[in-house]
Amino acid sequence: MAAPVIDTLAGERAGKTPPAPRKGGRFSVHFAHYKWLYLLLLPGVVYFAVFRYGPMYGVSIAFKDYVPFLGVNGSPWVGFRNFQDFFANPDFPRLLGNTLILAFLNLGVAFPLTIIMALLLNEVRLSILKRTVQTLVYIPHFLSWTIVASLSFLLFALDIGPLFQFLNNTMGTSIDFLSDPAWFRPLIVLQEIWKNTGWGTIIFLAALATVDQDQYEAAIIDGAGRFRRVWHITLPAIRSTIIVMLILAIGQMLNTGFEQIYLMTNALNREVADVFDTYVYFVGITQGAYSYSTAVGLFKSLVGIVLIFGTNWLAKRFNQSGLF
Amino acid sequence: MIRRKLSLAAALVTATALTLTACSGGDAPAADLTSVSIMAPFLEAQPPGADGAVQKKLEELTGKQVKINWAPNASYEDKTNITLAGSDLPQVMVIQSKSPGFVKNAQAGAFWDLTDKLDKYPNLKTTFPDIQKNASVNGKVYGVFRGRSPMRSAVMFRQDWLDKLGLQPPKTVEDLYKVAKAFTEQDPDGNGQNDTYGITIPKWGALGTNSPYDLIEEWYGAGNRWTERDGKLVPSFETDEFLEADRFIKKMVDEKLINPDFATFDSTKWNEPFFNGKGGIIVDVDSRVSVLVNLFKQADPNNFQNKVGFVGNLEGPDGKLHAHPTDGYSGFLAVPKASVRTEAELDKVLDFLNTMNSKDVAILLNNGIEGVNFKAEDGKAATIKPETPEGKAVTTDIKSYAQLGMNVAGNEFYPVKQPSDYEQQVFDKRTEVMAEDLKSAVYNPAAPFVSETYVAKGAQLDNIVADARIRYLAGQIDEQGLKDAIKLWDTSGGNKVKEEINKLWQDSK
Repeated sequence: MAAPVIDTLAGERAGKTPPAPRKGGRFSVHFAHYKWLYLLLLPGVVYFAVFRYGPMYGVSIAFKDYVPFLGVNGSPWVGFRNFQDFFANPDFPRLLGNTLILAFLNLGVAFPLTIIMALLLNEVRLSILKRTVQTLVYIPHFLSWTIVASLSFLLFALDIGPLFQFLNNTMGTSIDFLSDPAWFRPLIVLQEIWKNTGWGTIIFLAALATVDQDQYEAAIIDGAGRFRRVWHITLPAIRSTIIVMLILAIGQMLNTGFEQIYLMTNALNREVADVFDTYVYFVGITQGAYSYSTAVGLFKSLVGIVLIFGTNWLAKRFNQSGLF
Repeated sequence: MIRRKLSLAAALVTATALTLTACSGGDAPAADLTSVSIMAPFLEAQPPGADGAVQKKLEELTGKQVKINWAPNASYEDKTNITLAGSDLPQVMVIQSKSPGFVKNAQAGAFWDLTDKLDKYPNLKTTFPDIQKNASVNGKVYGVFRGRSPMRSAVMFRQDWLDKLGLQPPKTVEDLYKVAKAFTEQDPDGNGQNDTYGITIPKWGALGTNSPYDLIEEWYGAGNRWTERDGKLVPSFETDEFLEADRFIKKMVDEKLINPDFATFDSTKWNEPFFNGKGGIIVDVDSRVSVLVNLFKQADPNNFQNKVGFVGNLEGPDGKLHAHPTDGYSGFLAVPKASVRTEAELDKVLDFLNTMNSKDVAILLNNGIEGVNFKAEDGKAATIKPETPEGKAVTTDIKSYAQLGMNVAGNEFYPVKQPSDYEQQVFDKRTEVMAEDLKSAVYNPAAPFVSETYVAKGAQLDNIVADARIRYLAGQIDEQGLKDAIKLWDTSGGNKVKEEINKLWQDSK
């Protein structure tokens, strides 16, 4: 998802915007002129048509009482009943709350941390140190959530986990991190930070590399310290990248990470742990309520779209270039 | 993610369905059945290979090519739902429970109704009509049930600890408390440290799954999922005995007689604290007794006797024994209409299942191949020693193939001859204790009934109470909180479930 956006921006910067096709007759000329580019575009279009747009046909089961044996077309229409059931369900406010809280926590904590980490890495002058640290912080990204969850269980297990014992010995507190609902969200955010912060710095580091070095020299001559330089040169220079990444992050925000949350859930923290993704799995796949869970998933997508358009609108209001 | 996969699956289904219908036009008489496809769960680390000795022998005995699609037990339910939504259905499916997904499909006509058909096949005619009824959906039989001995509940404990502390095996729930307390506080392993506890309970919260909680509640007299009160069926958790039992368990949690991580403890490690001398009691099915004995035997082949003691169900505070049975079956083998289209074909598939249920095949699936891995000695199957590689492969494979056994007329295969006299004694005592407890079994009166509301949202409903139970035991909510959760069950749809179940119950009388 990220790659094409960056490409567009690069294209705009380089001033290579192709002339827009005007009317029917001109289009064939235009098309003939750019045929190789369109050919390049084709695989992407086919991919989206087959794997992204095609399956949307299945979304219709959100408005049906879908029974696999009867098929998508054979199942009876029920209108908005699945949605009504969901909104009337006592689980609904809890799910919405949990999803939004986790999403904003991840966005509010993990997203700025990524930028801070990129800035810190950017300030490291010793090349070998910078490269080593960069590689080391990328590694957790390649571990699956199952491994991350197992590590957490080992570290935080009641009575036997090293971190549990350490806290117990030094502070005399015995917190059951794994089942105490109050610790669920901090654990999830911590895991998210540990796993993905390093990986997230890649794009920011690329943006940082394009910042004009002359400006720094000028600032140094003017007597600006490191923080001044970061504040007045670096951050404004990568502002548009930050905005684009923020909008993209918000688009992904509601995908709270099914595996991660599913693995960390137990009876004692389910109150705060249930999110749309785990709920859809639970009622859809394990209980076979396909229509209902499709309705839930569709609702989640709607919220996601509202969030993307909202942020884009806000970005434009504040005179930043939005995503579209 | 999931939704996308689903809708993709849905799209694919229709696409393939169209091609399929195109192919299968015309009403040609059913061709002779040469191969049968079966979907079944496996519980081992690996499914058996397609060219093992058991597979060959099975094809020889049934005269058909048997294609088994093994799916891991842990995700079998998911796999069942996804297969039902797909196009490539097997001719026979092991259905593990009357889950909402299954019931919806069955009621829409996805499976053959076998209610009036099974009796025509000598090996499929059950000698346990009550169990067949339990396995039905409101009286409609959708499959050949897989019989399981109904009485399996037991309490196992460290016999050496019990002897050291000079205690008697528990007989009542009160005794269970006393033994657990002594195991916790009186240093049963004699290492001078306070490092033991009484009962180990793993992460196992769902209602009505024969969990330790379910067992203790039933012993208190709360009934088995449903129970009759004042001429009406009510869920067990709406009885006073349920609250009493949970108060009892909570007391043990509070006094640290139960492992403190009972809400998260991995159930695959259940034996470890017992074996390592941390937790001295397990409440589970009696077959675990032999597993535990075997653990000690592997560690010390000369001195493993008298480490594991066990008793059956415990008497409740009312002085009566309310023994906890299962529903007597573990799912059933159903025949989807999408893959078996005509009555004639169904007849052939049932004929195949009839052969599968014969004594010869039952012995193959459960004991193995005579002369390769076992030999029959006075009505028992004795493992051939030393084990040959072929014998070992058969022994491993039948652990999975046993999943195909139905045994609707009781077990016709040989009981396993235990490798030593001590183990044989344990095994015989197990059989004896369970047979005795079976006389006091309290069954689930609502087992055959499936309520419509329950199909729609039963599992979510039950989760309300199941989670509240664990949270109450862990001290997150008080008894009022537990009662509130039970009320919430009622108001979120439970009242309708009760109404429907009672109606079905009245109608069946």
